Amino acid sequence: MALPAKLLIANRGEIAIRIIRTARAMGIATVAVYSEDDAAMPHVVLADEAIAIESADAASSYLNIAGILNAAAKTGADAIHPGYGFLSERPEFARAVVERGLLFIGPPADVMAALGDKVAARRLAVDAGVPVVPGLDGADIAAARDFAARNGFPILIKAAAGGGGRGMRVVQTADTLEVSLEAAAREAAAAFGDGRLFIEKYIARPRHVELQVIADNHGNTFTLGERDCSIQRRHQKIVEESPAPGLPDNIRIAMAEAAVKLFGIAGYRNAGTAEFLLDGDAFYFLEANTRLQVEHPVTEMRFGCDLVAMQIHIAAGEPLVEPMAPRGHAIEVRICAEDAEHDFRPAAGRVIHLNLPAGLNVRMDTYLAPAAQVSPLYDSLLGKLVVWGANREEARHRLIAALDEFMLSGVHHTAAFLREVVASEAFADAQLSTRFIAEFFPNWRPSPELLEAALIAAAIAPASASTSGVDTTLRDGALAPRSPWETLGGFELWGRR
Amino acid sequence: MKLRESTDTREFAIEIVKRDNSSLRIKIDGREIAAQYSPIAGGFILTIDGRRIRVAATRIGERSFVAAGCAAFEFVPVAEGRAARSRGLVTPTVTAPMPGKVLKVLVAEGDLVAAGQPLIVLEAMKMETTLSAESAAIVRRVAVSTGAMVDHGAVLLELSPVPAQIPGQSAPSTDDRGS
Repeated sequence: MALPAKLLIANRGEIAIRIIRTARAMGIATVAVYSEDDAAMPHVVLADEAIAIESADAASSYLNIAGILNAAAKTGADAIHPGYGFLSERPEFARAVVERGLLFIGPPADVMAALGDKVAARRLAVDAGVPVVPGLDGADIAAARDFAARNGFPILIKAAAGGGGRGMRVVQTADTLEVSLEAAAREAAAAFGDGRLFIEKYIARPRHVELQVIADNHGNTFTLGERDCSIQRRHQKIVEESPAPGLPDNIRIAMAEAAVKLFGIAGYRNAGTAEFLLDGDAFYFLEANTRLQVEHPVTEMRFGCDLVAMQIHIAAGEPLVEPMAPRGHAIEVRICAEDAEHDFRPAAGRVIHLNLPAGLNVRMDTYLAPAAQVSPLYDSLLGKLVVWGANREEARHRLIAALDEFMLSGVHHTAAFLREVVASEAFADAQLSTRFIAEFFPNWRPSPELLEAALIAAAIAPASASTSGVDTTLRDGALAPRSPWETLGGFELWGRR
Repeated sequence: MKLRESTDTREFAIEIVKRDNSSLRIKIDGREIAAQYSPIAGGFILTIDGRRIRVAATRIGERSFVAAGCAAFEFVPVAEGRAARSRGLVTPTVTAPMPGKVLKVLVAEGDLVAAGQPLIVLEAMKMETTLSAESAAIVRRVAVSTGAMVDHGAVLLELSPVPAQIPGQSAPSTDDRGS
């Protein structure tokens, strides 16, 4: 099968841009889809063609299977990449794409259904002899009470169809069990269209280590190293690195073998991830992600490969060529539109001032652009800053330097928090666990120096030229925003000569 | 002038003491700071105690959006006399801490609510945030209904203090509700 000629990207934000870039580099034409609110977003601007997806509300546009398939038909796209989130792990979408005669850049629908469902994946892992955390399928309240009575609290509730930590809740005591189950089911239904839950024993201080798996249609299944994604808030990763610091070789090899075995038994194709909890030297299979992972650039930086290109080649039926041997160390931070000072509460706004880092071995995957809207309707990820170094210390210092270049006003975000995390002694010493933030950054606040500088800046900032803050042309989606600084002319802004 | 972070309650009193075209002296909460500044594209470099910090500030309406190094701030002016709040009740209104959708309204007008009682469930970025009462209060008005999209700062509920003295109400002065 030849490579696709035209690829539709059924996603938005940084991942849509990242996929478009690879497709273009491969000579494949690209089609963006977008919700009503996203018409001026960079992924729409960057693609060769763009089609609006109508939906009752903007949030569900990227979940509209019929709308996306119609967009593919209308533009003559012959392949669809789902990115991550949205429809990426919905077997009915993968199936519908293939039934239309299009290439789905991901695993076959039945494999996705088997491995992507936490409950089914666990059964597969048990069958494959891969260790799992004690847990319970399809939990209703009575079964959950019974499980808690046998295994004790705390217990963890997860969405069976979920990923990325959504719909996950830790329940500490019996009296909050029912409320938590209800809320988790609601969140799961809202995020994934599937309210089924899964319960397991909560391991208090694990590391999260995952294996990048890649498999072709010819029986070749490899791993591309591991990623340590232990640093999380709300069970969602915010710092990821490869290799996992201090992981003994025998454990690393055993985890890779377990991942290959599990994905092999499942008949997996394309890129996927096997997530494990590491508790001392014991590891437990957590879940499989049957899609490209948010943090995949960590692996790309270390292996010098392009996972999206590999996905497309594999989907087109080409045999896998083992990539280069890994080199050095890669670290990624996820810069999110969240208020790190207040429990990482989601924030929204519009980009005003922006400076993105660059340089050798620095990669910034982001949709941020001047005047870009940060919508409360979608995931809070603004962008991923990924660096490579010959060793962990070099990578760490490069990341600190890159974060120092990053500037963004107009929306609260986590860059300053991440900079302190990466610069901390605890991170330098790789004291990694999913409790990292609770243990080392429980009540983080911005440094007094930066706060002071910001207050001084605010005190002498002039009123902007228009009440919307940005030139009116911006609101019409013009590409070149003019900041009030430029509009009013440099220093005069301060109101005195 | 007095500023506070839009998502926080800490207030900062700021007074420009002196400014010329390359340096300024400014008082923050009474402490005087000397800084040098020089303009750069989109902002300027502040030098405070020998440390150079890039800043960019934009005022939109009454809000100031600031980047200082890699940190972001959003300041709003504090109205004088704001400190005179209803006795025994930290804030008389419950406002949306972020833009989002009202998932559930858990109280009705006239309800007596206890400190810590969940009032409203908001959904933003696919996550639920429960807004709870900071102190005992009576729900005077429910300003939103289930399913409504609300902006940051939108008034969701108006509360009034409970008439009788409720013990243990030395709640911190904060708008910082949430899960």
